[in-house]
Amino acid sequence: MARTLAMFTDTSLCIGCRACQVACKQWNELGLEVPEWTGGYQNHAHFTDKTFRLVRFIEEPGGKPNGDLAWLLMSDVCKHCAQAGCLDACPTGAIYRTEYGTVNINQDVCNGCRYCVSSCPFGVVTFNEQTGTAKKCTFCNDRIHNGLGPACAKACPTGSIQFGFRDELVKKAAKRVETLKGMGFKDAQLYGADSGGFLGGLNAFFLLLAKPSTYNLPDNPKLPQRNVVVDSLLAMGSALVVGLGVLLSFRERGKGGPHA
Amino acid sequence: MLKNPHWAMMIVWYFFLGGIAGGAYFTAAIADNFGSARDRAVARAGYLLSLPLVGACGLLLIADLGVPSRFLNMMRAFKFWDPMSLGAWAVGVFGMFTLVSSVLSLSSSEEVASLRRKIGLVGMLFGFFLASYTGVLLSNSALPFWSDARLMGALFLASGASTGIAAITLVLFLTGHAAGEGWGKLKHADRYSMVLELALLIVLVVLLGAAAKPLTGGHYAPLFWGGLIGVGLVVPLVLDFVGPRVRALGALAAVLVLVGGFVLRYVVLMSIHA
Repeated sequence: MARTLAMFTDTSLCIGCRACQVACKQWNELGLEVPEWTGGYQNHAHFTDKTFRLVRFIEEPGGKPNGDLAWLLMSDVCKHCAQAGCLDACPTGAIYRTEYGTVNINQDVCNGCRYCVSSCPFGVVTFNEQTGTAKKCTFCNDRIHNGLGPACAKACPTGSIQFGFRDELVKKAAKRVETLKGMGFKDAQLYGADSGGFLGGLNAFFLLLAKPSTYNLPDNPKLPQRNVVVDSLLAMGSALVVGLGVLLSFRERGKGGPHA
Repeated sequence: MLKNPHWAMMIVWYFFLGGIAGGAYFTAAIADNFGSARDRAVARAGYLLSLPLVGACGLLLIADLGVPSRFLNMMRAFKFWDPMSLGAWAVGVFGMFTLVSSVLSLSSSEEVASLRRKIGLVGMLFGFFLASYTGVLLSNSALPFWSDARLMGALFLASGASTGIAAITLVLFLTGHAAGEGWGKLKHADRYSMVLELALLIVLVVLLGAAAKPLTGGHYAPLFWGGLIGVGLVVPLVLDFVGPRVRALGALAAVLVLVGGFVLRYVVLMSIHA
């Protein structure tokens, strides 16, 4: 495997311009969608089959030291998890890991069973009714195989989205957290940078200025497949009990042989 | 925000019919192997019932895909840790068992019966699998309501058993075989699985706690309490208790058990959309 690539989204630098969102739409030829009214700047409300990069506009009333409204801005994207629920769930092998460590959906193989949709801990993967397949950020698979960074990172005017080798970006991100803490952002923290942490680390990881739940991110996302063993064993136990019940009902009492 | 896969009526029907097919087959196989020769009507009804049902299951699964023409892509991979992958394979393998068992159940020769019993013992394992894996599949997701209790597989299996047995009972009733002693044995087995199902449902709701809200408190709550717990489980148990010798009451109870099995799959799948 080639050296793992990553995207580091430093939310402290995001100005909410949505250049990433637009660049993603244009490069990946994602179609028009009817906007939905969310009561604020947030648009669209969630990832869709045509929105792979999405700037989150989080309003924190009284969040500034002087009591003013504070904005938390974050350009959200598929996390390309090192342990990816969608990839484990995919029964056709359409979802695969590239040699760069990113997670991609082969649109020619996906048959639209939608199991990946319910297996994503972040609600990223979305079913597309027109193509009948599952869609998500490709990490601009075509671009990274041709020596270009993802379109969103390329378009970002402030360096909030950075693209590079994962190990280098993690070091850079750790330094940035220290700097921000020194500046008084006491809740500055990395999300998904630790490859020993949840989901084996995220290949699109983030620097947040508040706790993850403020950004509607799960504090401790879990791999859906964690349940398979326990649930299967309990199902087998249930099968034993049920089978025994049927057996006891049909057994020929006192006649010895099973085929009496 | 977590996303749900928008599995709707076709998958509700699939879960329901797959449960019956699995339950009817393993009931038939057990009756065939361990029951008396007089239980042959039960075994035959179970085998013959599971064949068309599992056929319908396959068609429903294919029709529900985003790109149905690519259904064979499921056979590109075999992931032993993935319920969706195993399930696709199991529907095919189990389908073959139901076909062979059904054909063999038509013969009255003792040699054929001996072969059929052996095949039934192996096929039975796939029947148990088909009836339960759909629940494990749901618990293998990021959605707390489906996954947190880790009891969906056990619950679906109990429901598959009770609906499978109820379906055999109905077939016997409608084909005039209700007089045999198989009837009482079926009723006994059905009560057993219904009590287990009820117990599992209670434990599931307790374990889920707040995550059970879509089931116990929302739009689907009346259906859950009235349709599943009431009409689908408590009423048939009471009917069996009141008139164990009245065939018509037994048949009515079987219909209600089937309604309950359908409601279970319906509320579990549809309430996630709410």
